[in-house]
Amino acid sequence: MKKILSAAVLFASLTTAPAFAAPVAYKIDPGHLSVAFIVNHLGFANLIGRFNTAAGELSFDKAAVETSSLSVSIDAASIDTNHAKRDEHLRSPDFFNTKEFPKLTFKSTKIEKTGEATGTLTGDLTMLGVTKPVVLNVTFNKDGVSAASKLETAGFSARGTIKRSDFGMKYGVPNIGDEIQILIEAEAVKS
Amino acid sequence: MTDLLHDPFVQSSLLPLLLGVAAVGLLRLAGGQSGRSLAPAGIALAFLLIFALVVGVPAFPPPSSMGKLFWSAAGGLVLGASLDLAGVKGRAASLAVAGWLALALGWIAGPALDSVAAALPLAVLLAVGAWVAFADSAASEDRPAASAAVLLALSLSVGVTALIGSSASLAQLGLALTAATGGFLLWNWPTERHLWGASGRIALGLPVLLAAILALYTQVQAATLLLALPALAAGPLRRRLPIPDTGFGPALGTVAVTVLAVLPALVAIGASWLLTGGEASPY
Repeated sequence: MKKILSAAVLFASLTTAPAFAAPVAYKIDPGHLSVAFIVNHLGFANLIGRFNTAAGELSFDKAAVETSSLSVSIDAASIDTNHAKRDEHLRSPDFFNTKEFPKLTFKSTKIEKTGEATGTLTGDLTMLGVTKPVVLNVTFNKDGVSAASKLETAGFSARGTIKRSDFGMKYGVPNIGDEIQILIEAEAVKS
Repeated sequence: MTDLLHDPFVQSSLLPLLLGVAAVGLLRLAGGQSGRSLAPAGIALAFLLIFALVVGVPAFPPPSSMGKLFWSAAGGLVLGASLDLAGVKGRAASLAVAGWLALALGWIAGPALDSVAAALPLAVLLAVGAWVAFADSAASEDRPAASAAVLLALSLSVGVTALIGSSASLAQLGLALTAATGGFLLWNWPTERHLWGASGRIALGLPVLLAAILALYTQVQAATLLLALPALAAGPLRRRLPIPDTGFGPALGTVAVTVLAVLPALVAIGASWLLTGGEASPY
């Protein structure tokens, strides 16, 4: 009987243990989120732009990063290349077609650890109504209580490249580069 | 050569003009007895080729309004050519063209119809479409130059308005349509050789579809395009022009009606320029 009880206690402790290591919910801090991109312009130079409005949620497990997940939603009309008329053009059907497709979304599908603080984040990017898998190289920068906000915070950097024509954004290719470099810097605050 | 093909100015002018001339001529020859009616289908064909070059061939089913424009135009080209080859004329052809245009406008406008305000541009576009389908058919079929002049004027106003409003691909498509129509007009000057049947009226529906995207999905001041609508009166006006009854008369008539149709288009372009301040996108 004693043996059975011990086994039951052990089983219970084993089955409840993952609850303590479960991913923790974070919200992306919009004030410390930068979603930027680099695109080649006619071969002369690379233009840097950004999206000023985005939101996202992170489910993060430092002990088992593979079980973490991320979803981000970007307001396409918030595009900013430091030129109002060009931004208007970028919002038009030539590029982001923001009236028809107001959001760009990313939802992670797989996270793999590649080093002590690095990994690859695979996910589905939906843009212009087309969903394609993309892979981002992620660096985990730091977690802990932020000296500024006093809140539990985790910080990441991500880099990747997509082909805009894969999403049906073919206007101006090849004069305006098809390959787009993506740069993301984000801080997420524990919910 | 590749650089030339990727030059936006070539894509919007010389190339569609040459494609228009070639496509109209080839369809005239290939159409046999129906060739004279089929020839205006060369305008839509040139438009689709330029679309494929500038924007690419969209996926089907298309997720965006631009993709819907391409496939609507392709469907219209097939419909118009089929009607002309089958010898369908009059009210039956008008109904078919009207049905195509209403379906295409509904398909393109669908996602934007989230308010009563958004329905107003669609109502205006449907009314213009009805004119294109029915009133234009009242124009004499063997006087295609007047209808082509209307198409030239409308596509010019849509193209330049889009250019002013920073929608470059729509601008290129509008201007390409203008140039392709110019190719058709070259075939019909000084003598009007072709007929303006269902294929012609389908082509006349293309600037209406372009205007729908401009009005519903861009920040362009598309209301100024209303100022170009008097160009639609070019057909009836052509019949009232005191053209001398000589060999030179029809050639003069075509020039006169083209100038008369383009004038309101220039007014619309001027209004758009004034409203936007005239600053162009650096692209």
